[in-house]
Amino acid sequence: MTDIEIIERLKRDLGPEALEVTNPDRRRIFLKVDPGDLVAAVTLLRDKYDCAYLATISGLDKGETFEILYHFASPAANINVRTEVPKASPHIDSITAVIPGAILYERELQDMFGLVVDRIPDPRPLVVPDDWPAGNFPLRKDWKFERPPEIIPGGKS
Amino acid sequence: MLNKLVRWSRIKSPWILHLNSGACNACDIEIVAALTPRFDVERFGVLLKATPRHADVIIASGPVTRQIKDRIIRIYDQVPDPKFVIAVGACAMSGCVYRGAYNIMGGIDQVIPVNVYVPGCPARPDAILDAVVKLLGKL
Amino acid sequence: MKFQIPIGPQHPALKEPISLRMTVEGEVIQDADIRLGYNHRGLEKLAEEKTWIQNIYLTERICGICSHSHATCFVQGAEKLMEIVPPKRGLYIRYLVSELERVHSHLLWLGVAGHEAGFDSFFMYTWRDREIVMDLLELISGNRVHYAMNTLGGVRRDIDEGQKAKILEGVAALRKRSEYYFHIGANEPSFVARIAGVGLLTKEQAVSLCAVGPTARASGITRDVRKDDPCAVYDEMDFEVGTADSCDVLGRVVVRVKELLESYKIIEQILHKLSPGDIVVKAPRKAKPNEVVSRYEAPRGENMHYIKSNGTDKPERLKVRAPTLANYPATVAMLKSGFIADIPLIFAAIDPCICCAERTVSLVNARNGEETTVRLSDLRRRAIEQHKNAPPKRNAVWPF
Repeated sequence: MTDIEIIERLKRDLGPEALEVTNPDRRRIFLKVDPGDLVAAVTLLRDKYDCAYLATISGLDKGETFEILYHFASPAANINVRTEVPKASPHIDSITAVIPGAILYERELQDMFGLVVDRIPDPRPLVVPDDWPAGNFPLRKDWKFERPPEIIPGGKS
Repeated sequence: MLNKLVRWSRIKSPWILHLNSGACNACDIEIVAALTPRFDVERFGVLLKATPRHADVIIASGPVTRQIKDRIIRIYDQVPDPKFVIAVGACAMSGCVYRGAYNIMGGIDQVIPVNVYVPGCPARPDAILDAVVKLLGKL
Repeated sequence: MKFQIPIGPQHPALKEPISLRMTVEGEVIQDADIRLGYNHRGLEKLAEEKTWIQNIYLTERICGICSHSHATCFVQGAEKLMEIVPPKRGLYIRYLVSELERVHSHLLWLGVAGHEAGFDSFFMYTWRDREIVMDLLELISGNRVHYAMNTLGGVRRDIDEGQKAKILEGVAALRKRSEYYFHIGANEPSFVARIAGVGLLTKEQAVSLCAVGPTARASGITRDVRKDDPCAVYDEMDFEVGTADSCDVLGRVVVRVKELLESYKIIEQILHKLSPGDIVVKAPRKAKPNEVVSRYEAPRGENMHYIKSNGTDKPERLKVRAPTLANYPATVAMLKSGFIADIPLIFAAIDPCICCAERTVSLVNARNGEETTVRLSDLRRRAIEQHKNAPPKRNAVWPF
């Protein structure tokens, strides 16, 4: 199926839930949905569009909102689903009921951005060290890091 | 007299422990390649050991991440005296490309004292061999 | 009686630190749990403060064994953002280095698998042959690892006729040696029996846990980015995707061996198609605001980079998904209902390029909470002893 056919089918199946569909390059389709319709859209992609393979979940800090992208791949094209949540209440539903392999990516989202993934089966932090102070979310744009001065043994400090 | 015998046996067969503290693996592959038939570090009596308690020399690579800092200190304490540390690669010396990242503390010498530094990204197996021989010469 | 065994950071056998925590009952593993973060270097935050060219060198150093894969994946994406197309000769040279890297990585892995199964002479043989490939790479690029061949718009160094002849010679010698190894596999029933039936991952599990690379291909799923999503050069090459149906470590060895043979074919095809021309095209400093998803088949699986630009000379967001991270849930599924003695082998079978995994095993006695450290080499020795006296599996067959 070509890109145009996939976009037509998506618009037909999802109707008003598909807020925006773009095709910036060959075989790359970007689809925008509301956070509430996310699980339904992912289930549809897995069942009808042969997208059982989730490559990863990326987060993006856009100032007032967080944008979350789910990258799926099927033999015909790469379909990427994006949703936006406001920073004031950063909650998103977990898709591990539909795609069990998404668990590690959602844990990383929680660590790096401070998003709260509801109904996640395993909410422990993934990549930050054990003695990391809570409330520090490294990938937010307003989080800056000041490196402590190094001591060079045997040399000038 | 006994001291001379002990010193001779230490120089003739140092046992090493390979420690990776958050590296990208290139230096580790070169350390293991130093054991293969082409570069063959075993002709100097060097044996790769599994546990810190049997080792004389720690060969460390990689910049130190915050998570592994306590473990490195624990491993260093487990190695019996006299002990030596060789820092392999630019990451172990000062952090290489990762300087300034929030999870990196810098080179290995921020955590444990180092005796020999081997530059390179990654350091060639010949350079690692050279470092081991230089260390033995200092003993 | 349930024990909890933590496999922790510093490990004698090789490479990187991860921490696994296994709940065991007797010798059988009931559950496994992973603690990442020892290798977390904060790369994605660093990448937002460096320019596009500096980021090539940063992404190269994500991993030492597949360094060219990360750099190529990034450069593919950045070139799409800047809307430049590198010349044909530059593309051929770039993917020639990729295939050479795939050969070196699979030979490395074959040695590691032999070492974990107790077959140390195999380890020494394959790593000696790997030196041929390292010499070729040093001839072309000047360094054994971290070749730095890529730049925005093409490659940095050219190859001339003398180097081309040397590469063809090296590949011919390697092909002869690789075929000798395949005969070893056929004539060594103990090696095959040791790895058959270990680390089972059924096809449904592999699909639902999103496994990639040879781990998925050994369960019968044909998933290879070079065929599914081909970029410039791969749709002109004639090669096949290797799969196996046995869903265990033997299948993974077979898949990697098949990929080695296909890589030799691709290298020879590229060298015959090389035509004279430019190798690089000038790239602009800034990129227009856009986003791109770039995928590439690294030796371990699919490598994915998501890059977003905002019109300046630094990227707004770089997201890297390395293949071994995608194989983690599959590893946990493989470890359940396996034996402790098989832990090193199962772990080596996914070809961990974790740069974030430490492996030491510490046994926690559930009754009084005291900890004893068991080195992974001890585990391996125990495993080898155990399998020496076990009855041989008569129906394990080498499929070549």
